[in-house]
Amino acid sequence: MRITRRELLATGGALTAGLAAPGILRAQQVKEIRIIEAGGKSGESMEPYIKPFTDATGIKVVRESPNPFGKLRSLVQSGQNDIVLFELGSTGKEQAKALDLIEPLDWAAIQPDAMFPEAKDPMGFGWQYYSTLLAWRSDAKTPKNWADFFNTKDFPGKRTMQDRPYGLPYALLADGVPADKLYPLDLDRAFKVMDRVKKDVSVWWSAGAQPPQLLKDNEVQYAVSYSGRVAGQPGISYTYEQAILDLAYLVVPKGARPADKAAAMRLLRDYSKAANQLEAAKVISYTGPSPDLPAMLPKDKMAEFPTVHREKQIIHNVKWWFDNADLVEKRWQQFKLSL
Amino acid sequence: MRLRAGVAIYVVPLLVLMLVAFDVPIVLMLAQSVLSPHPTVAHWAELADSPIYLRVLGNTFQVATITAVVCGLIGYPLAYWMRGLRPGMQLVVVTLVLLPFWISILVRTYAWIVVLGNNGIVNRSLMGLGFTDRPVAFLYNQLGVTIGTTNVLLPFLVLPLFAAMLKIDERLLQAAATLGAPRRAIFWRVFFPLSLPAFAAGLVLVFILTLGFYVTPAILGGGRVPMIANMLDVLINTLPRWELAAAISTVLLAATLALYAVYRTIAARAA
Repeated sequence: MRITRRELLATGGALTAGLAAPGILRAQQVKEIRIIEAGGKSGESMEPYIKPFTDATGIKVVRESPNPFGKLRSLVQSGQNDIVLFELGSTGKEQAKALDLIEPLDWAAIQPDAMFPEAKDPMGFGWQYYSTLLAWRSDAKTPKNWADFFNTKDFPGKRTMQDRPYGLPYALLADGVPADKLYPLDLDRAFKVMDRVKKDVSVWWSAGAQPPQLLKDNEVQYAVSYSGRVAGQPGISYTYEQAILDLAYLVVPKGARPADKAAAMRLLRDYSKAANQLEAAKVISYTGPSPDLPAMLPKDKMAEFPTVHREKQIIHNVKWWFDNADLVEKRWQQFKLSL
Repeated sequence: MRLRAGVAIYVVPLLVLMLVAFDVPIVLMLAQSVLSPHPTVAHWAELADSPIYLRVLGNTFQVATITAVVCGLIGYPLAYWMRGLRPGMQLVVVTLVLLPFWISILVRTYAWIVVLGNNGIVNRSLMGLGFTDRPVAFLYNQLGVTIGTTNVLLPFLVLPLFAAMLKIDERLLQAAATLGAPRRAIFWRVFFPLSLPAFAAGLVLVFILTLGFYVTPAILGGGRVPMIANMLDVLINTLPRWELAAAISTVLLAATLALYAVYRTIAARAA
């Protein structure tokens, strides 16, 4: 086949037009985007956002999990650019920003509905609030707060805590530090409290699915657990009193393909819609970033949701944890060796 | 010489594959400990300055020693017993020893929770029969980890040991008997020394394999038994301190290679 000059010019013109078209138009040529999320029920709760997006644009969204921070670093440093959204905790987002692993979101392209201010971060879309709280077997003596959790004499039974240092604020609260004086954390004091209870902590959990299972198996009677994992579980009680409220973000790994990113921004618009967030909250009792959402939540299940109890809880202090990451980690490993 | 050259041609593709797909990436990864972000000894200095990392390494060696000893105590009598069986029965028992290999390590590890947990079969039986009034803590401690690692690694000791025992010449034992040696003396002075190199090689192999265990301490240790693979996971996936992880991995690799040299020496004597 011979290409005439005219055809060549026409093809070239079409190509140039394609390149010049606005990002959103080119995004429609994307057939599929890939995102990495935390997995489990929280991952499933992304479907109510993805379905309307795929229905409207024809772009499929492939979810992969889990989302360890190291995976983000290896994606970016190896130049792999086919992951367009990556889920991170709030501290993880700061870490990723400092290590130059993520790029800013295009909020003008997202055109979101109303969102809580902390969820609308230049580098991340806060999509899901979750709490880490005190849970216990309903047949065990009812604790009121962290002081009771750390009081193994009056509240006998085994405990499980996360195998990360994030439980240290609970130790300080139990020791009488007021919630507004918590930070900067007094590490010496916190570890002293931890030393007191460590023999009663039978499991240091690493996966969110462990605490509810350990409670059900009667392996432990008291647990530090993610709120969504214990909400609505028969035989397990919990309290949002002095729980720590945190926000999971969706970030864009540095170097993601522009067309994919444009599609992802369009997807994030669906994440900002209160109606979709309501459907997601039915999958797992975590809440999206819309200020309109709390009023829409089912009245009988209201108590299960993290953002409903905002005033009782402590907001995770991202800055302190980020600034002190190395120091805390060393102290934590030392503590773990003393078990 | 011509034969050697001919053989080399067949081996080269595999060697190149190993070199490019395995050895080079490993060296690049380990090199991060001295080259990232620029040539430095800071990461090694940090490792030397932080006794915690070396203590976790020490703890890992301790768990590996215990696992090797327990595997030896269970595995040697098992292999010896298998040697005395009829060939048909031997096949059945070898299959039973191999059976766990067909099941995912994750499934096997979780199965121990069902069996040994506070509400597990064993504890409910013990309490039902009145041996104890509160559940025995089998899991979430060093005992739990040892049970898990031994369960996974026992075949690595038993199978080579059993093969080596089969090769021991029956006539040597008969000769000893003819010369009036009692059964006990035949075992300790003839059979055991002949099986010792294979036994020792198996123990070293189990030891080396335990060093890299991740799933078992994570699940059955309840986060209370610090082992090096789990610490590397935190350094690589959570923090992420790849440079420090590379330095620790280098130490681990060096230790493993040294042990492997010991293994080869013993195995060569066994053969």
